[in-house]
Amino acid sequence: MYKLTPINLEGVQNNVKRLSDNACIPYDPANTDYQAYLEWLAEGNTPEPAEE
Amino acid sequence: MSSISVNTITDASGGTTTSINGYTPTVSNMAGRNRIINGDMRIDQRNAGASVTFDGSNKYVTDRFFGFSNVGTTTAQQSTVAPAGFNNSLLVTQTTGGSVVSSSYVALQHRVEGFNTADLGWGTASAQTVTLSFWVRSSITGAFSVALNNSASNRSYVSNYTINSANTWEQKTITVLGDTSGAWLTNNGIGISLVWNLGYGSNFTTSTLNSWLGSGAFGSTTATTAFATTSGATFQVTGVQLEAGSVATPFCPAGGGSYGAELALCQRYYWAMTQIVYSCVYGSGNSMGQIWFPTTMRASPTVVSVLGGGGTLNDEYINPHYYGWYVTGDTTVNCTDIKVDAEL
Repeated sequence: MYKLTPINLEGVQNNVKRLSDNACIPYDPANTDYQAYLEWLAEGNTPEPAEE
Repeated sequence: MSSISVNTITDASGGTTTSINGYTPTVSNMAGRNRIINGDMRIDQRNAGASVTFDGSNKYVTDRFFGFSNVGTTTAQQSTVAPAGFNNSLLVTQTTGGSVVSSSYVALQHRVEGFNTADLGWGTASAQTVTLSFWVRSSITGAFSVALNNSASNRSYVSNYTINSANTWEQKTITVLGDTSGAWLTNNGIGISLVWNLGYGSNFTTSTLNSWLGSGAFGSTTATTAFATTSGATFQVTGVQLEAGSVATPFCPAGGGSYGAELALCQRYYWAMTQIVYSCVYGSGNSMGQIWFPTTMRASPTVVSVLGGGGTLNDEYINPHYYGWYVTGDTTVNCTDIKVDAEL
C-alpha cells in the first residue's frame, strides 16, 4: 500500500510513501521501488490521498 | 612521440615485469578491472554480520549481494570463514529443506551497473569476452550453475561448475564470450546480472549450457537441487571477480584494496546512519533540513528515516545528492535512523 505525499512548496507532488515501512520513494524511473510502485498502479491499485 | 608494440616486457634481471616510471604493474595492483563491488564480502552495512531470512523479495546480505527463496527456510549472513587471502565470505544456509517444484527458486544474485560494463560492448559485434571467477564452499557436492543475464532477462548464459569436495574451498572459473546480440544497458540500470542457482525449478532453468539464449534462464536443468532440499545445507562464496578477457587473474577488489574505497563504491547503492541531524528554522515557525549523501547515488534513492518533533511534514526532497525535509508548525524537528537505498 502507498500514500501520496503533499504538494510541495514548488507546487509539485514528487514522491510517494510506502506504508509498510514508511519509505519515501521518489519519482525517479531508475529507482527500483518506484518501478515496483508503477507496476502496482498498473495492476489497478490506487494510493491513498495525501493529507491536507 | 613513439610507441612500442610487444607481447611481453621482461625486466633486466629476468623477471616477468618491468618498471614504468618507477611503478611495477602486477595483476594484483591494477585496480578497476573487477566489475564486482564487494566481491570479497567485506562490507555489510545493512546487517553487520546478522542473519537474514530470504523470501520472495530481494534480501540483501553483504553489500551488493542479495538472495531470494521460496523453498523451506533459507538464511544468509556475512561469515568470517574464508579461503586463504580473504577475511569474509557470504554464507547461505538452507535451515529447513523443502521440495523443489517447477516454480521454486533459491538463488544468490549480484547486479553490475551498466556504467561499469559499458566498455565490454555487449550487444554489439565487438562484444568482449569476460571471465567470472569465485571461491565457493558447500556441504553439497555436484553440479551447480551460475547465469549471466541482461536487464530485461531476455538474454541468458548458463554454465555449470562442479563442487568436488564437501566443505572445502574451491575456486571456479567460467569464461564467457561476449554477447553480440540483445540489449545490454550501458547507463545506471542493470548492466549484467549474475545469478548463483541454489535450487531453481524447471520454470527458470535450461538444458542449453555455455551459449547465449534469447530468453530468461537463470539455472541449469542438470544442476543439483540438493542444497534446497537438504536441511542444514550450506553454501559460501567470496572472491567474486568479473573481468574482461579470457584469463582469471588473482582477485582484486573493485576499489583497489582499501576498505574506504570499497565502502564508497557500495555507498553509491546503499548507506545508513543512526546519528541525529537537526533542522534549521525556516520561515515562521517551520523546520527545514538536509542530509548530504557521502557519494552520488546511482539514482534518486528510497529513503527511510525517523523525523522527530512535531508539526506537519510538508515535503521530503530526494535526489542522488541529498535528502531534505520541510516541516511546518515546529522548529525543533530532527532526523535520525536514515536508510538510503538506490540498489539496482
